[in-house]
Amino acid sequence: MTLAIFGTMIVLLLLGFPMMIPLIAGSLIGFVALFGGFGQLDTMVQQILGGIRPASLIAVPMFIFAADIMTRGQSANRLIDLVMAFVGHLKGGLAISTAGACTMFGAVSGSTQATVVAVGGPLRPRMLKAGYNDSFVLALIVNASDIAFLIPPSIGMIIYGVVSGTSISELFIAGIGPGLLILLFFSIYSYIYAVRNHVPVEPKATWAERGQAVKRALWPLGFPAIIIGGIYGGIFSPTEAAAACVLYALFLEMIVFREMNFRQLYATAKSTGLITAVVFILVGAGQAFSYVISFAQIPQQILGGIGIDEMGQYGVLFTISIAFFVGCMFVDPIVVILIFVPIFAPVVQSVGLDPVLVGTIITLQVAIGSATPPFGCDIFTAIAVFKRPYIEVVKGTPPFVFMLLAVAVLLIFFPQIALFLRDLAFAK
Amino acid sequence: MTLDDKHAPNPGPDVITAAVDVDDDIDDSRYVSGLPGLLGVIDAGIARIEAVLLAVGVLLMALNTMANVVGRYLLGESIFFSEELNQALIILITFAGISYAARHGRHIRMSAFFDAMSFHLRKTMMVVIAAVTAAAMFLLTWYSLDYLLAQASRGRLLPALQIPQWWIIIWVPLGFFLTGLQYALTAIKNLIDKDIWLSTSTLEGYDDSAEEEI
Amino acid sequence: DTWRYAFEEALEEVQGKFAQKFKEEVEANSDHEVQLFPFGTLGESADIMEQAQSGILQFVDQSPGFTGALIPEAQVFFVPYLLPADRDQLFSFFRNSKAIHELFPPLYAEQGLELLTMFPEGEVMMTTTEAVASPADLNEVKFRVMTNPLLVESYRAFGATPTPLPWGEVYGALQTGIIQGQENPAFFIESTKMYEVTDHITRPGHNNFTTAVMANKDFYDGLSDEEKQVVQNAIDTAFEFIIEYQTGLTEESLTKIQEAKPEMTITTLTDEQRAPFMATAESVEQEFLKIGGDQAQAILDQMKADLAAAAGG
Ligand code: NA
Ligand code: NA
Repeated sequence: MTLAIFGTMIVLLLLGFPMMIPLIAGSLIGFVALFGGFGQLDTMVQQILGGIRPASLIAVPMFIFAADIMTRGQSANRLIDLVMAFVGHLKGGLAISTAGACTMFGAVSGSTQATVVAVGGPLRPRMLKAGYNDSFVLALIVNASDIAFLIPPSIGMIIYGVVSGTSISELFIAGIGPGLLILLFFSIYSYIYAVRNHVPVEPKATWAERGQAVKRALWPLGFPAIIIGGIYGGIFSPTEAAAACVLYALFLEMIVFREMNFRQLYATAKSTGLITAVVFILVGAGQAFSYVISFAQIPQQILGGIGIDEMGQYGVLFTISIAFFVGCMFVDPIVVILIFVPIFAPVVQSVGLDPVLVGTIITLQVAIGSATPPFGCDIFTAIAVFKRPYIEVVKGTPPFVFMLLAVAVLLIFFPQIALFLRDLAFAK
Repeated sequence: MTLDDKHAPNPGPDVITAAVDVDDDIDDSRYVSGLPGLLGVIDAGIARIEAVLLAVGVLLMALNTMANVVGRYLLGESIFFSEELNQALIILITFAGISYAARHGRHIRMSAFFDAMSFHLRKTMMVVIAAVTAAAMFLLTWYSLDYLLAQASRGRLLPALQIPQWWIIIWVPLGFFLTGLQYALTAIKNLIDKDIWLSTSTLEGYDDSAEEEI
Repeated sequence: DTWRYAFEEALEEVQGKFAQKFKEEVEANSDHEVQLFPFGTLGESADIMEQAQSGILQFVDQSPGFTGALIPEAQVFFVPYLLPADRDQLFSFFRNSKAIHELFPPLYAEQGLELLTMFPEGEVMMTTTEAVASPADLNEVKFRVMTNPLLVESYRAFGATPTPLPWGEVYGALQTGIIQGQENPAFFIESTKMYEVTDHITRPGHNNFTTAVMANKDFYDGLSDEEKQVVQNAIDTAFEFIIEYQTGLTEESLTKIQEAKPEMTITTLTDEQRAPFMATAESVEQEFLKIGGDQAQAILDQMKADLAAAAGG
């Protein structure tokens, strides 16, 4: 049954069906096979609704909305002008700033999808104008957003911590090292890319021009203040910060800059709703599919057959990495963590692995998986927001996935990348 | 964008709209229903309602979330139904949105292999895709109605709002049904028209911008 | 056959321990296999409940607090200071209560469920960023509670500002200071690491987290008498096991917390300190009678009679 399901899904996807159909078909086959008919399909509907219901997902439409208002008005451009005034003359400066912005935004929002939208939305047009190729830009945005999962706060780490009984504070600190390492790799790659593709640089801005840019950006600098100050200052949850950004963006564009009227507000809200629907139906269908996998205990069957108990530490770590990577290519990351972690828990303990290291590796794999074809949710989001074909969005991905996997391998052989800061902070 | 001769369209008004609007906002006043006569008027009306629900849903979500913050800090009182209201809104947005997206050919698909096929194969495939998608949507309409009725009979209440939980999911069968209807119409339109249609109002062919053709 | 059993916690938490024991017993005494589905693997609490109602799952563990959306009377377990703090009295109550064994089963049956047992999971404690000794200390404290009208009412009566928050955001919100407190049994505070982001544990003795195991009614009625006996025996064995397991669990969890974070204070309120908290129970009871469904009064009266009997015996 497993093969029939995955086979059907991939064929339907390649034939050009709307992407919800492979996911719906996969779960339909599963439900019919598991329950011997159509009798329990109402549970499939329940699961689709369960997929779109989590409160933390509300941050996604809110950030889409805020980013769209900022991009249509002046806020986004003024912020980017500010960045450009300082890094525009450097090779790859804009690309590196984009990766940095994804890291920072991801650090506070905790959502990879929200990062794709909020950072990618305003920065992509500028990068295209600056001479970067679209497939590079899309891949950079989608993959740099992964860092959101590693830098605290991270929902993935909280779930792992709860399921495995590991200290969440230690996990949070352990994620920082690998997160920054990924940022470093992406920055180096961006630099090399810019040099090899002769992406032009702007003339170096004078200090007077920079001062001017800062002045123009004063109002829009309220956004980072709301997000970073609001969340770390204990005023907002990430979801509330997203809604606060919407209202602040409306205040700036409708009242301060007078760039937006009610007609445009309506159009922006509608467009946000449309993108949200297109992405969320996939999240919902993905949840129904996850249910089938979970109910049929497919992971347990596959893992039961490979004899993980005989492996050493490295064998276990590689098996875990592969399992999570493959799992997240098809199924929602949170569900993968919930199902896989208890299965691996005994062997992790018996070979004496540090659960914090395992958690960091799992979080990294989960992040990579959500940006990886065929069914990564960040890819759906990028397609819906940027209105680019699927293939265009994933074309530039391989070098990034390669770098992410390289970090995963480095992490396995040099656990100190993750554990150094943890040991320092917790004096171990 | 330049269309090659293979998909050269008959440039009716809705075609131009579709081409221009692909990267821009959808102008609902220029939406032309795929249905004839009175049915077409009703359909265009539904399209307008969907659009309004999407926009209002998103705005309410922002206000609701902020109201909770304001309540917490200024009034020292959290709004307990805030989370449930957002749940209701996200369900509304998703299910009003999927049929609106189907109407305007906005559902995400992977078209790389599809685009490489010949015109006739593409046309046949589009009929199959639209018909199968419509069938899947109608199936889900039936079972979401089933789920809705089961919920109504169980009488589960939303803890904070203290209203029956099924009230917030009535959009689900409706959304699936209207989406199925759009795909069914798309299949028919592809059968009777000489061009390939992604939806009743959108010609196939992503807005292939210049760089893709290099 | 394969019987499927879903619950609201992880495999190594109390509901998971109960389920594991049940599985072990059923499989030892019959040809049936029991598959266990911990928290989240088949959806949220409300989802697994619906799946048990529609017969996809044969068994489900759901706490009455959640069941309250379906069976309002079940919320009686949120009335503070109703259940006794004394362990022997508590266990005696759960073993012998007429409310649990006679009044509740028909209410569950109306929802297509066979109520198999109810058991306590542990004394509910507050974890807060500031020490709590009286209701005054909760003034202005944003306290995360589940979205349940009675819990909200309880904490409002205690003087706090009850704040709803999805469980996934609680850890982060305590860390950044959006909220300053939450409540849970000790084992859950330990396993979910809530102590990492708070500094004080307070034991007001106001409640013991209760949960219930049920079966799909059609499934259960369709079992042979022999099979029903296997299920009942497994439930009884698991019940005794979990009562045994509980004794010491709270202290063990608190010791682990203390080891992991020596500066954590753990305070059991004295009877004198508890008095002002207890004084608020009456208002919550009134609220329960208002929203607790048709049988609210009957359930509450019977519970009180059962508790008096447990205290006397
Ligand atoms: Na993060
Ligand atoms: Na994925």
